[in-house]
Amino acid sequence: MRATLIVLVTTFFVASATAPRAVRQAPAPNAGAADSIRFVAHPDNIPPGFPSNDRPLALRNPYEGNAGALKTGAQLYVAYNCIDCHGADGSGAMGPSLADNRWHFGGTPGEVFESIYQGRPDGMPTWGGRITNEQIWMLVTYVRSLSAGKDVATENFTGATVERTGH
Amino acid sequence: MTRSLTLERLLIAAALAACTGSNQSATHSDSAGTAKATGAATSVAGTRIAAPRTTPAGEWQMPAGDYANSRFSDLSQITPANAANLRASWTFSTGVLRGHEGQPLVVNNTMYVVTPYPNVSYAIDLTQAGQPLKWKLRPENAQAAAGQACCDVVNRGAAYADGKIFYNLLDGHTVAVDATTGKQLWRTKMADLVRGETMTMAPIVVKGKVLVGSSGGEMGVRGWIAAIDANTGKEVWRGYNTGSDRDVKVGPRFKAFYAQDNGKDIGLTSWPGDTWKQGGGAVWGWLSYDPELNLVYYGTSNPGPWNEGVRKGDNKWSCAIMARDADTGELRWAFQVTPHDMWDYDTVNENILVDLPLGGTTRKALVHFDRNGFGYTIDRVTGEVLVAQPFVQMNWSTGVDLKTGRPNVVPEKMTAEGKNVKDICPSLEGGKNQQPAAFSPRTGLFYVPTNNLCMDFEVRPVSYIPGTPYIGANAPEKKGPGGHGGEFIAWDATTGKKVWGIEEPFPVWGGALATAGGVVFYGTLDGWFKAVDASSGKELWKFKVGSGVVGNPISYVGPDGKQYVAVYSGIGGDMGLLIAGDVAANLPYDVRERGSTLPDLGRWTSWGGMLFVFSL
Repeated sequence: MRATLIVLVTTFFVASATAPRAVRQAPAPNAGAADSIRFVAHPDNIPPGFPSNDRPLALRNPYEGNAGALKTGAQLYVAYNCIDCHGADGSGAMGPSLADNRWHFGGTPGEVFESIYQGRPDGMPTWGGRITNEQIWMLVTYVRSLSAGKDVATENFTGATVERTGH
Repeated sequence: MTRSLTLERLLIAAALAACTGSNQSATHSDSAGTAKATGAATSVAGTRIAAPRTTPAGEWQMPAGDYANSRFSDLSQITPANAANLRASWTFSTGVLRGHEGQPLVVNNTMYVVTPYPNVSYAIDLTQAGQPLKWKLRPENAQAAAGQACCDVVNRGAAYADGKIFYNLLDGHTVAVDATTGKQLWRTKMADLVRGETMTMAPIVVKGKVLVGSSGGEMGVRGWIAAIDANTGKEVWRGYNTGSDRDVKVGPRFKAFYAQDNGKDIGLTSWPGDTWKQGGGAVWGWLSYDPELNLVYYGTSNPGPWNEGVRKGDNKWSCAIMARDADTGELRWAFQVTPHDMWDYDTVNENILVDLPLGGTTRKALVHFDRNGFGYTIDRVTGEVLVAQPFVQMNWSTGVDLKTGRPNVVPEKMTAEGKNVKDICPSLEGGKNQQPAAFSPRTGLFYVPTNNLCMDFEVRPVSYIPGTPYIGANAPEKKGPGGHGGEFIAWDATTGKKVWGIEEPFPVWGGALATAGGVVFYGTLDGWFKAVDASSGKELWKFKVGSGVVGNPISYVGPDGKQYVAVYSGIGGDMGLLIAGDVAANLPYDVRERGSTLPDLGRWTSWGGMLFVFSL
């Protein structure tokens, strides 16, 4: 299995070689922020998008819209076992869904980066320092793509598609 | 309540039972998909519980009621003739909305409830109107554990002994609690969360030792069972399920029945390289104990990872039934049920200890309904397989070779890297999972909640990263042939034949309770709690509880002398969390698209966490 990982890491380097030079220094801090490690408030306490100087959300994803990074991110999602917690299509298993447009710790690129980098209390491991920041950004790119345009806020069980159970 | 009063209650209950007849007419299906019973009334004479309970019949002191794991209650006020009069007596919210597997205990007019993570425990005073709490314990319990548990943050219950309640915390600690005051007496770290080990199983207490085991078969753990001194909290012995004979505690007293289960260090040599170190074989199911043989019986989980290419060989002792000396932990015999598992067929399901007539003699047996779909009747002294027959629809094996104990595997259903094998039955949830069966000595029948699921199995590469899942497969599931998700069956373990069955629209993920009154109880994923006739399977009564049932009913006598039946409601566990769609969301405000396996389940149930108590 180690061989597989090496293949993927190689793929990553191929992908990163084609990426803009500036991103090699990622994470790219915004407006003088020293690093990416900051306090992240619980979403129950601070609504998404709440303006606060204490909560700079605009870490920039150097790979936003980069198709190569998206593809590599999908491979890293398998290689780093994200798939077994969050599901093959990101719909959740041991861990929460990444495809439902509900983000427990924020869904901006910077917030998703922080969740992966720092880990989260319910069992999300800390990946910062274990994998490169570039790889985290590629995962951010892939993970955020899973929920694009998706929202199933209403489930209507009375339609024709509902299977009858006889009760 | 004193012991003499309890006994008096028992006599009254017995007298009531003698006055009631049993209604044995069979029912017929009323519409496609509705629960239906098939088969004729019957009973199997001469089978008895091997280690009948020595605790008062009006109480429920250990997870399965007795060491034999019979889940049989001697109470008989509730009968097929009066079960239609059952009604909800009182309820209690546990304050937790996750899978409520397991069952409460009742000791000395007090009910003890342990919740899923964060594993809060409650002592409920049954002597007062409104059932006030005597105490509530909120133990320290690492939050990270919630994300290390593969299949929801369940807890399968506590055990009582000598004035203490013992249970496991998800984060890998075992605690002892003063049953009277709720004071935590000791707390011992047993499992290592950092390596993906959690604890979800229900302990049993044997001769002053608390027996516990680890979860984490999907996290690359190395499974073990351990004994803790009930008074001090100090570990007395620990037996690993993979590794050297020394670690597995294989010594001169070990003798397996089959040749392939004997040999030096086969817990090492049946694995390539060091793969045994992440080889699974966890102990997250139920424990039984035979006081006469002084043997503890349990089953081990799947090998890790699911990708079988990583671990060529038999992979001992994953997917095995183990018999250990209760005092020393020495392995006395072992039987690997599914060598080199490649379908996630854990063997952790309960082993029910009975003495039964077979071939003209009485055999000391254990009866085990495995994930792999075979119902095994095994000699519990030697490990010899006496009977092995499918109890659900299956296609991965054509049968068990009784000369070797090995299943004959259908080559087309073997999984491997680069392959996506279609339509394997049963699915990885197994013909039966953690939901425990019950046995009634009155009918001689086993009452088994089963699944009817099949799967595709696509193997993919996997890396071992500590604290993350170690799986390497995608295995989407669907309902099996017939379109029902499960069936509640009555089983004759002497012949290996189904006697009757009640088809259910969803997998039957809650356990069974058999009673001396001739009534059997179980709950369903879509939230029905049912009473059926033990002889015929005829439905006698049902009640729609607040959330799907994945817990196990118990029966006890209240301070008023009445028989009560209690069960948790609260969907979850592997069923609720992994494949049930919207009911699987992590937080109530999450949304998920319907799971493809049981797309309609969300219509019938939602999150819950309630205890329901019923009586006449």
